[in-house]
Amino acid sequence: MNLISDMSEVRSQFPILERILPNGKKLIYLDNAATSQKPYFVINAMNEYYSKYNSNVHRAVHALAGEATEAFELARKSVANWFGLPSGGMVLFTSGTTDALNLCALGWAKVNLSSGDAIVLTEMEHHSNIVPWQMLAKEKNLELRWVDVDSETYQLDLDDFKSKINGAKLACIIHTSNVLGTRNPVEKLVEMAHDSGAKIILDCAQAAAHEKLDMSKINADFLAVTSHKMCGPTGIGALLISPGIFEQMEPIQGGGDMITEVFKEYSNFQENEHKFEAGTPRIAEAIGWSAAINWMQKLDMNAAHQHTLMLAKNAAEGLKKIPGIKVYGDHSNDDVSGVVSFLHESLHAEDIAHMLDSMGIAVRTGHHCAQPLMRRLGVTSTNRASFYFYNTIEESNAFVDAVKSIVERFT
Amino acid sequence: MNKWPNKIQEIIDEFSDALDQMERYEMLFEYAEEIDELDKSEWTNKTRVVGCQSEAHVLIEFGENGFHLRGSSDSQIIQGLMAITAIALEGLTPEEVTGFSPNFVSEMKVLETLTPNRANGFLNMFMRIQDDAREMLG
Repeated sequence: MNLISDMSEVRSQFPILERILPNGKKLIYLDNAATSQKPYFVINAMNEYYSKYNSNVHRAVHALAGEATEAFELARKSVANWFGLPSGGMVLFTSGTTDALNLCALGWAKVNLSSGDAIVLTEMEHHSNIVPWQMLAKEKNLELRWVDVDSETYQLDLDDFKSKINGAKLACIIHTSNVLGTRNPVEKLVEMAHDSGAKIILDCAQAAAHEKLDMSKINADFLAVTSHKMCGPTGIGALLISPGIFEQMEPIQGGGDMITEVFKEYSNFQENEHKFEAGTPRIAEAIGWSAAINWMQKLDMNAAHQHTLMLAKNAAEGLKKIPGIKVYGDHSNDDVSGVVSFLHESLHAEDIAHMLDSMGIAVRTGHHCAQPLMRRLGVTSTNRASFYFYNTIEESNAFVDAVKSIVERFT
Repeated sequence: MNKWPNKIQEIIDEFSDALDQMERYEMLFEYAEEIDELDKSEWTNKTRVVGCQSEAHVLIEFGENGFHLRGSSDSQIIQGLMAITAIALEGLTPEEVTGFSPNFVSEMKVLETLTPNRANGFLNMFMRIQDDAREMLG
């Protein structure tokens, strides 16, 4: 569909966008970096699974189990195709990006790194790409090296990365910042990591919502992705692994579905994706994610992202004109997402968020699970408006006008 | 007979009569100025309310005249709610403080919900005060 000319058609497919809040205000949803809204197509696909073929997968021989298994494994193929998984790579379903990063830490790094080995992180990381590595570092006596973020340009210091990656075994890098919107030069970072002999995992929680990621071109060893920020349901994501990685991993959970045989003394594991998916998997969620991918395939992702950028830039420019407001992030180029973080010099972020909420405008406030970055920026929290392709210029303007009216009234 | 003590009922009525939510926030900003302020130099880990998105600090005392609260926050909404809580609980015994319902805030219509989630600075602050009072009861 042509996004710009068919905006009303696009919006009509997201029932929640018509929501009237308890205070009588019409919802303006600008918390898309936390989670996106879901189109009927996704809601209906999950409803249909539960209404018509709900069954456990992989083992039973009855008709429903066959249909459910087929849909579940088709979802795995949809995810592989959408993310350009190279031949020989694998999609390991997880509960989301955090779970995928933990799977990489415990299933790969714990097995392949030894005492004294170094892991490279950046100050831009979400806590989900920090804490698992801290826990592992403590357990295995690993070194964590931190790459600086420039608090003026909001970019990673690539010279610092080059220096820190030297001799390291793994780099764990956020593809697109959930606070600043900065899209890191991941292709270059992957090349630098590989040149120095390190593996690299990219946290693509934000990126997957805004661009069509192609793992075969990005060439990273691991991608951690999630469904719920790209119009799919919560509760499912994946660790995408490149060819050759599977053989280097050990399962981190034992249970049903991941074994071939169990004896009293030992068990033999599956030699496919199921090895890392113990227990009943997230069947409805996988089907919902697959539906989201099918729906997004009809979108011109590039046009959708340009529209999102236009809304974010409009908001950032508008906010900058309001006395006392500072915007964090560089919206002057196209290498950003739809995130606009900002802070007023005297009004607390939480107060602004409450006031915007009373006007029907949903934004996020707080440290955004990125406290090392907050410290680099010299703040404890920010307000964050995050736009998506179904938002409109009227909403972007209404948001700026609302912040302006709050500042005028309360300062 | 009022459900709440007169001084709180008056505040509830005052807030209920407000034109809209923004006027209620304006009133909270005004109440924030009336608090017996805990200077930032007195902020410690012991006074800090855990779970608030803003920095919020409270210090409670039970003297001869009963409960007294000093506090401050870098959020004016939270500090305003703190000031009203101080008015509500002033002079009460620890038993009375632990039994006091936070629902007066719902009736003031300043917060949409009192859901005990981590973003609810007021509820975290109120529960912290009650925990302190409970500790005094031993």
